[in-house]
Amino acid sequence: MQPVSAIQAQPYAGISPDETIEAAVRKLSHENVACLLVEKDGQLVGVFSDRDILNKAALEYDHVKDQPIWQVMNADPVFVYDTDSAAAALSVMAVSGFRHVPVLNLEKKLVGIVSPQRVCRFLREHSQE
Amino acid sequence: MGLHAKMSTEPVSRLKLRPALRVNPTSTLREAIEVMREGQLGCVIVADSKDRPAGIFTEAMLRNLMASGTPPLAEPVSSHMAESFAWVKETDSIETVLDGMEEKNVRFVVVVNKSGKIAGLTGQKGLMEYVAEHFPGEVMVQRLGTEPYPQQREGA
Repeated sequence: MQPVSAIQAQPYAGISPDETIEAAVRKLSHENVACLLVEKDGQLVGVFSDRDILNKAALEYDHVKDQPIWQVMNADPVFVYDTDSAAAALSVMAVSGFRHVPVLNLEKKLVGIVSPQRVCRFLREHSQE
Repeated sequence: MGLHAKMSTEPVSRLKLRPALRVNPTSTLREAIEVMREGQLGCVIVADSKDRPAGIFTEAMLRNLMASGTPPLAEPVSSHMAESFAWVKETDSIETVLDGMEEKNVRFVVVVNKSGKIAGLTGQKGLMEYVAEHFPGEVMVQRLGTEPYPQQREGA
């Protein structure tokens, strides 16, 4: 199987860890995406997704909306390198259960994000097995 | 047989369907959110008295509501659900689910039985699990977790 770099990873929606939850919610809605990559100086420091909103903000929004997202984001997201096999991204989705997989290069710089839709497009284009 | 050929011939029931979380049309938004949290699932199906799907409420819809302010937790979920949603019959081909995902980025697909009652839920995650089964030798040997590959050889 080809490397992760053969799967579309851009565009992606990024945000600073110091932005508020309210700003992140609005950005997710405006960009119409389910997941923001939290980045600082080009490095991935976390992921903030619709699931974080459901679990940590929906019922207590007035109390938490002004908090910075670093307090509630997933600060230890599962990622892949762009040189990994594309099967690694599929493995994160199918085995670990994360639909959105951040992609880093070997210098640990953020490259983008891979989604199920992008994986399926990749498979349709590259897999005639 | 290739992956896409299999998808066009195998039925949706071949996917590992997930149990569908249900609420009533009169349930509040708060109750729907609590059900989603407890079930750790990104949607609830609003079911009628005959267990047929009347609508769906997803965490993406919740996020869009919150983009306008505090969600109206006391309002009925039926006021905020989508009455138009993706659904398939158990006997439809898996390719139907794939097409919905590729063309409209559908995340959840409600699966109904021949009586039109809710049989389960599938979508992006179910499809990824199915695709992964097609490549077991490659998918199941991958590094998982948040630590990179060891930079130095272990052992002697």
